[in-house]
Amino acid sequence: MSHGLVKRLSLCLCSALLVASCAKQNKQAFYNTGIIYCSESNPVTFNPQLDTSSTTSDASSHQLYDRLLDFDPESGRIVPSLASSWLVSDDGLTYAFQLRKDVWFHTTKYFTPSRNFNADDVIFSIDRWRLTSHPYHYISGGRYPYFESIGLAQNIAAVERINGYRVEITLKRRDSSFLANLATDFAVILSEEYATQLSQAGTPSKIDELPIGTGPFKFESYRKDHFIKYRRHDNYWRSSLSTAEDDTAPPDNNRESEVRVDDQNQAFGNNTPNDGEQTTVEQLIFDITPRSSLRLAKLMTGECDATAFPAQTELEVIRAKDDLILAEKPGLNIGFWAFNTQRPPFDNPDVRRALAAAIDKNTLLEAVYFDSAIRAKTLLPAASWAFQNDADDTAYNPVLARKLLADAGIETGFSMTIWAMPVERAYNPNATKMAELIQRYLRDVGVEATIVSYDWTTFRRHLREGLHDSVLIGWSADNGDPDNFYRPLLSCGAIPSGTNRAMWCNQDYDRLINDALETDDIEARKAIYRQVNRLLYERLPLVPIAHAYRYQAYRTELEGIKINPFGGVRFGGVKKAL
Amino acid sequence: MTQILVRYCTLLILTLLVLTIISFSLAYLFPGDVLENLTGLVPQNDIQRAALEKQFKLDQSYVHQFVYYVSNLLTGEWGYSFTSGLPLREEVGIAMPATIELATYAMLMALFIGIPLGYYAGIRCYSTSDYAINSASITIYSFPVFWFALLLILIFSLQLDVAPLSGRISLLYHIEPVSGFILIDILLADTENKSLALKDALSHLALPTFAIGAIATASMARMARRSVIDVKHRPYIAAAISRGLSSWQIFFRHILRNALLPILPLMAIQITTLITNAMIVETLFSWPGIGNWLIQAIYQRDYPALRIGMMAVSTVVITLTILVDLFNRVIDPSREKYERAAV
Amino acid sequence: MLALFVVFALFAPIITPYDALEQNIDGLLIPPSWMANGSISYLFGTDALGRDLFTRIIYGCRVTLGSAFITVVLAMLVGVSLGAFAGMLRGVRSSVANHLLDALMAIPTLLIAIIIVAILGTGLVNSMWAITLALIPQFVHHTRSFVRGEMKKEYIIASKLDGASKWQLFVHSILPNMTEMLVVQGTLALSIAVIDISALGFLNLGAQSPLPELGVILADGLDVTYLAPWNVAVPGMAVFFMVLSINIVGDGLRSALRKRVSY
Repeated sequence: MSHGLVKRLSLCLCSALLVASCAKQNKQAFYNTGIIYCSESNPVTFNPQLDTSSTTSDASSHQLYDRLLDFDPESGRIVPSLASSWLVSDDGLTYAFQLRKDVWFHTTKYFTPSRNFNADDVIFSIDRWRLTSHPYHYISGGRYPYFESIGLAQNIAAVERINGYRVEITLKRRDSSFLANLATDFAVILSEEYATQLSQAGTPSKIDELPIGTGPFKFESYRKDHFIKYRRHDNYWRSSLSTAEDDTAPPDNNRESEVRVDDQNQAFGNNTPNDGEQTTVEQLIFDITPRSSLRLAKLMTGECDATAFPAQTELEVIRAKDDLILAEKPGLNIGFWAFNTQRPPFDNPDVRRALAAAIDKNTLLEAVYFDSAIRAKTLLPAASWAFQNDADDTAYNPVLARKLLADAGIETGFSMTIWAMPVERAYNPNATKMAELIQRYLRDVGVEATIVSYDWTTFRRHLREGLHDSVLIGWSADNGDPDNFYRPLLSCGAIPSGTNRAMWCNQDYDRLINDALETDDIEARKAIYRQVNRLLYERLPLVPIAHAYRYQAYRTELEGIKINPFGGVRFGGVKKAL
Repeated sequence: MTQILVRYCTLLILTLLVLTIISFSLAYLFPGDVLENLTGLVPQNDIQRAALEKQFKLDQSYVHQFVYYVSNLLTGEWGYSFTSGLPLREEVGIAMPATIELATYAMLMALFIGIPLGYYAGIRCYSTSDYAINSASITIYSFPVFWFALLLILIFSLQLDVAPLSGRISLLYHIEPVSGFILIDILLADTENKSLALKDALSHLALPTFAIGAIATASMARMARRSVIDVKHRPYIAAAISRGLSSWQIFFRHILRNALLPILPLMAIQITTLITNAMIVETLFSWPGIGNWLIQAIYQRDYPALRIGMMAVSTVVITLTILVDLFNRVIDPSREKYERAAV
Repeated sequence: MLALFVVFALFAPIITPYDALEQNIDGLLIPPSWMANGSISYLFGTDALGRDLFTRIIYGCRVTLGSAFITVVLAMLVGVSLGAFAGMLRGVRSSVANHLLDALMAIPTLLIAIIIVAILGTGLVNSMWAITLALIPQFVHHTRSFVRGEMKKEYIIASKLDGASKWQLFVHSILPNMTEMLVVQGTLALSIAVIDISALGFLNLGAQSPLPELGVILADGLDVTYLAPWNVAVPGMAVFFMVLSINIVGDGLRSALRKRVSY
């Protein structure tokens, strides 16, 4: 009897152990099915056409959508995406795109596609921001800041359907940055069929709230300040690409690919290991965590698998941890201090120069970026081909500052506001702290500064209304083209779209940057941008401060994650193995 | 008995009325547009605005507006949040149970640990163990809750990695909110990973509950100890001793119940402290409760949300307080109204 | 220990080696003096802007303790007068007022603070208003029950018979007896006020950076927790010890009082 008991007991114990180990395996298996990404803020919308903030494009463009073209994250070259190939006419005005077949839109609770992706979707997506007469143009506000800021809508003469899988775009002027613009995070392809369904149902604005795209993940649910949940898109075209087509180029490719062939192959070679395999990841979750220290804490406890924007102070900590990986790349960005040039006395270049001379940029770099950034002289970072090494730079000179201020009739005790953005960005990880430092510098020259901050949405709205005296903010470029810095940041056309924080409008400047687009000759463009830099140094609508490195921290379990210097994070093709 | 019930009901209704008046006037006190503050809807043009004003009777006297406001509150039309655009009732409906759940567990912890400890210390008063318990409780009681929670996070989450530091449950689980209480919801939900989910939820609960519970426990223990000491000095205890009852008998027959009575009304005050602490701790643990929600709302100046949130929280707290008082009156009618022991 | 804090608060400018807002750009995040690469010239190290933490803590004690003290005194003044008034009242009006007050007493401080911040904006002064408002009911409650209790005692009846008016009754007979209760309640309220003010500062609803308030310093330090843990540890300790010392003093007072009452 005692034997029986022992036997039974040991059996029990064994089975308990078995269950336990089983449970552990289950647990691992279960946790492997989802990636949690700690993002820093709420997206404004799920349609990146409508918003330039990187939060929005992170949460949408590479997860939910695809573009006609993509940037290769390694080389920065333009590679095919939904357009399998394209052809540029000799005069540089007509672009013909051959579209990929067998691309499916998401099937969700709210939409089931009846056809796959075709030319109508491309035309719909472009016409939506291009034509003010388009029925969807004014849905969700009718502002398309990126396209407005580069003036693309005005330059496109026509978007035509040649056949179901071929689209032709005609420009009015040559634009050497056109293809690059189509590859940015903002030029996503929406579903025309979904839009038609929605307008029939009378709820067109849902197109931006309950998104449908062709991307690797489909939208599931969103709770503001808490999370965004995505599910795997089972019919994602890139996953079938590797198994079925692999190296077979689309049949009608040969005819027109004088520009393309080599890029094409390279692109496929690149895509196969990266995005090709069907991932084990079934869920993607954005855990919205505004505080960077909390994001890091979650990363350390494994509650997040990857985080956005680790604070510069935390980089050392991440490097020191074995189970965390810190990836870094020089970013295409600029952090700056912009003056509202429409408000006196900041409309006076001497005042702006005085304030610029009052601050010591090197200290700001050290205290705010902890040396993870490069001092900025112009708008362009060194990663751009048009970077000018010998550009003029403002220097720390409080004596000059005081003199200039006195000459401009500014008395001691003059007060102004510094708006410090409430979110962390690579280009300015801690705007409040920077503002406090600037405040102290300004006090030395007899200027009293008050620091103003609102929540991010209100902050940007007020900025667009021009309520600020000066603001600490910045810009992350969407592509490597210099026009992507100069035009959105300081051109006249960018004032209403709210990317020109200096509210600065200068005809010479606009003429110069337009001239630069007329030519494909790199040296000629460089020469023009030199003149632009000179002009900016003289007028100083903003003080360039830093070009920061771009960081991404993730746990060792994640495989295949890549920093994309040209835009948002992407989780297509990322795998997880505990 | 009925009289007492009627009395408390009137009190409850009266207080809620005052609260409603306050929350209604907040729409006028908050900066910005009254219509927007009241409804959470931002009219796109003048026609819409006029229609909304008519609908909410803003063109009529304050009394009419107020009556309409109350009827809206009662029918569940609480307006919309500025920031999320969702109906506020839905948002409060998600956030409120999360806070109540947290506070309940903390309260249970305080009751089942704090009171026995306090009793023990009270009976052994002025002994070493009493001093130990007493000084421990005053120490814990003095911890600012936000710092205490931070320390817990630093030690248990980041150093030892034994408990997660944010949320109610890993976001990978899909738990349909039915009751709003995560543990109950998990039991109700039909996922195959039920036991995993349960374990996960418990580990998420551990630290915040402990952070709030420890402080509540400490003050509970202090109250219980005080109360026991008071009772021990009463003449009937001396009488009982002289009758030759054993100390166990004295404890069970006299002290247990009599020391409990003055503590009960104090629990009413505890509820307020508990909810306040819960609200602070929520922000640290990203617990999706009402405190976290309110603090987000204030950061974003979401006035309709603040108005309703204030209404909801104070309604819950006041109702609970009055219920505890009522309960206390019912089981101990001899006490004077609202007489409370000292902390 | 409380005395130490009071000294800190009163003589902050004399004790501290630096100015609380002074930034030393060459010395960001210097560890405290007892750590390996700390410097004795910065006793508790420096924060992310190169401000001396020791100085900020001392000023922080001053701001936090000082504002808490003012808050309590204000609340006490208002609360006692209201409470005395309520205590002397009789009949339905008093009953309604008392009940309402008791119920409203249950509204959490944090909630009141949030509402006040929403109406008036953030700032130390606004958070002080909120806390005052939250503390008043306690004083009212205690004063009222005290006055009620006293009114029944013989000496009051005696002076009533002597023809003293209500005001005289209160000032000459009740108030002197009440001081002890008020001191005890005051210390209790003080510890609550300290915690609440720093909590509001911490939540960014009260005092705003760069004002050296302990909660604000703690919240500032949170951003550099991993790099400079002392920025979180030291201000937290300061609040903790401040509250602890207030509580110990309060506890001592209370038991002394109790002993006197019972024997």
